[in-house]
Amino acid sequence: MRLLLVEDDALLAESLAKELEQAGYRVDLAATARDARAIGEQEPCQVAVLDLGLPDGSGFDVLAHWRDRRKQFPVMILTARGNWRDKVTGLKMGADDYLTKPFRTEELVARLQAILRRSEGRVESVLRAGRHALDEDRQSLRGPDGEEHLLTGTEFRLLRCLMSRPGQLFSKEQLVEQLYSLDDSPNWNTIEAYIRRLRKIVGSEAIVTRRGQGYYFNEDTGNQ
Amino acid sequence: MKIPEISSSVRNSLLLLLVPAVVAVMTIAWVLHGMSLDRMARDYMEDRLQEEVAFLEHQIHEVGADLSILDTGEYFEDVFHHAFAIRAEAGTVVSPPQWESALRSVLDMDAEGLLELDGTGDQAPEGVLAFRRVITHAGKPVEIVVAEDLGILHSRHVQLHRWTGIVAVLMIAAMAVAIWVGITVAMRPVRQLGAALRELQAGRNTRIDVRTPAEFRPLVDQLNRLLDTLDQRLERSRQALANLSHSVKTPIAAVRTVLEDETRPLDGKLRRQLASRLSDIDQQLEAEMRRSQFAGPQAGKSGQPVRQARDLLWMFGRLYPDKRFELETEIPGEHRWPVERHDLDELMGNLLDNAGKWASKAVELRLTESDTGYHLCVRDDGPGVEEEVRESLSIRRLRLDEQKPGHGLGLAIVAEIVDRYGGQMSLHNASNGGFCVEIALPCPA
Repeated sequence: MRLLLVEDDALLAESLAKELEQAGYRVDLAATARDARAIGEQEPCQVAVLDLGLPDGSGFDVLAHWRDRRKQFPVMILTARGNWRDKVTGLKMGADDYLTKPFRTEELVARLQAILRRSEGRVESVLRAGRHALDEDRQSLRGPDGEEHLLTGTEFRLLRCLMSRPGQLFSKEQLVEQLYSLDDSPNWNTIEAYIRRLRKIVGSEAIVTRRGQGYYFNEDTGNQ
Repeated sequence: MKIPEISSSVRNSLLLLLVPAVVAVMTIAWVLHGMSLDRMARDYMEDRLQEEVAFLEHQIHEVGADLSILDTGEYFEDVFHHAFAIRAEAGTVVSPPQWESALRSVLDMDAEGLLELDGTGDQAPEGVLAFRRVITHAGKPVEIVVAEDLGILHSRHVQLHRWTGIVAVLMIAAMAVAIWVGITVAMRPVRQLGAALRELQAGRNTRIDVRTPAEFRPLVDQLNRLLDTLDQRLERSRQALANLSHSVKTPIAAVRTVLEDETRPLDGKLRRQLASRLSDIDQQLEAEMRRSQFAGPQAGKSGQPVRQARDLLWMFGRLYPDKRFELETEIPGEHRWPVERHDLDELMGNLLDNAGKWASKAVELRLTESDTGYHLCVRDDGPGVEEEVRESLSIRRLRLDEQKPGHGLGLAIVAEIVDRYGGQMSLHNASNGGFCVEIALPCPA
């Protein structure tokens, strides 16, 4: 398993590389953003560990560069900054997990395994209906204006259900199955509330209500 | 009238608003005065004319149909103040003669009562106010008209009008002066405030303690409060860095000494001790970092709970793909809460992180607003927490400095933030299993 380690601190890079090799990886090293971009793009890496604080640029730029060129290998971000905003940004930009420094190497190895496992079953799958594209892997929706909307679990499942068969009516009972059940009995108003919320995301024309019958996804929405 | 915008000067805006208003009001008063004067005069005229007509009627009945007597009666010229015309079968009498054509026109009119006639020829008066009546004498109709020269009335009227006009102008001037004086006096506190601020800037004073009128009180209080906050921050950050420096210097010294001692072999035990010192340093840094990151309630700082919540829920959905992270809220996406952005991230992020670790299948974040404040609730469907452990998780116990970092650091951070905002936190097991953390933050004062 080829692993690309991007870290500019030589001491840390060396010992980390050694421990990762012991864990069974073949480690390539990069100490600058420039090297990282090149190696990640050209070499067949299967997983990467990426430090954000590089001397000639930000780890985010490297990540964006890889993803732009369709390099989909899982990436673990290393960062000294532990605030939530940075973590969200990292994941939004395409990373799979983050770890704050200093960390225990065992934890890094364990989480690397986890992200590798997750990426194995992953298929790049986009569900299209009309001018909307639902990224099933990323759990996000890209609207006709190109903007990406991140979705919560239930929002995603409802949209996937509706968009998988555009034009087909789904009753409230059928949709309720998609809801999680933290309460013992989710009430019907929850479905209505979710449809309202989804309409705010996809536009009110994209989900049509048939009174007494249910809802369906309308893929023929005009220019919005 | 378009209300002028608040210009850069309060004084000018006031002058611009009040002086024209005063002018307008006085002008209207003057016009109304003129109009009511006019009306009063007319009513008075009408009464007089009517009386004279009655007098004439009486005379006619006494004298009989011989109108010529009326014409020559001297007392008429002395006692009678108006012009008159009488038409009977025998003939017409008009006095004074210059009014002949005018009064004939009035006689010819059909109506009775108060009549007005304008522009009646060169010798006649310019305008005539007359009272016409038809009486019966000896079975025959007699028309009587008594008239007054409107021109004289008008000129008197105009004169009076002019006088009141002058009085109005004087009053306007007086009011303008009063307004100007009033504004100057009212603006005095502003100048005082300006002077107090200069004192503050120059360091001659630490707070603004000028006595201000009620309108400025909140402003001054806020300024003083802001100064208090700044003081606190400076003090806090000084303290924090001093503490940090202290607590870090010792382990650094220890590690350095050991490493510099070339005679000492680096065995497993020594390695572990060195590592643990470094761990200490890290923990101290972590704790101080966290502490200094908190903003606490501050004017002008806010976060967008729904937007930030969606980001975080999505992220946790990626990190724990076998669990679901849900959002329950009716709050619109652009709504802002008076909680600083980073603090809000820490509140939600830490609670969701904990919930995600313990949940078996799902985590729910609920955001609500009420008139008492802002509510956040994170629920998971995990095993929940035992009673004794729950006891130890109250806010007081979770203060950062009493907690050993690494054990429930997340909840401690949340408790610290909630405390800073003067809010309440409650932790309990949910009714159908699982753990629930509820946070209520008050509306800012």
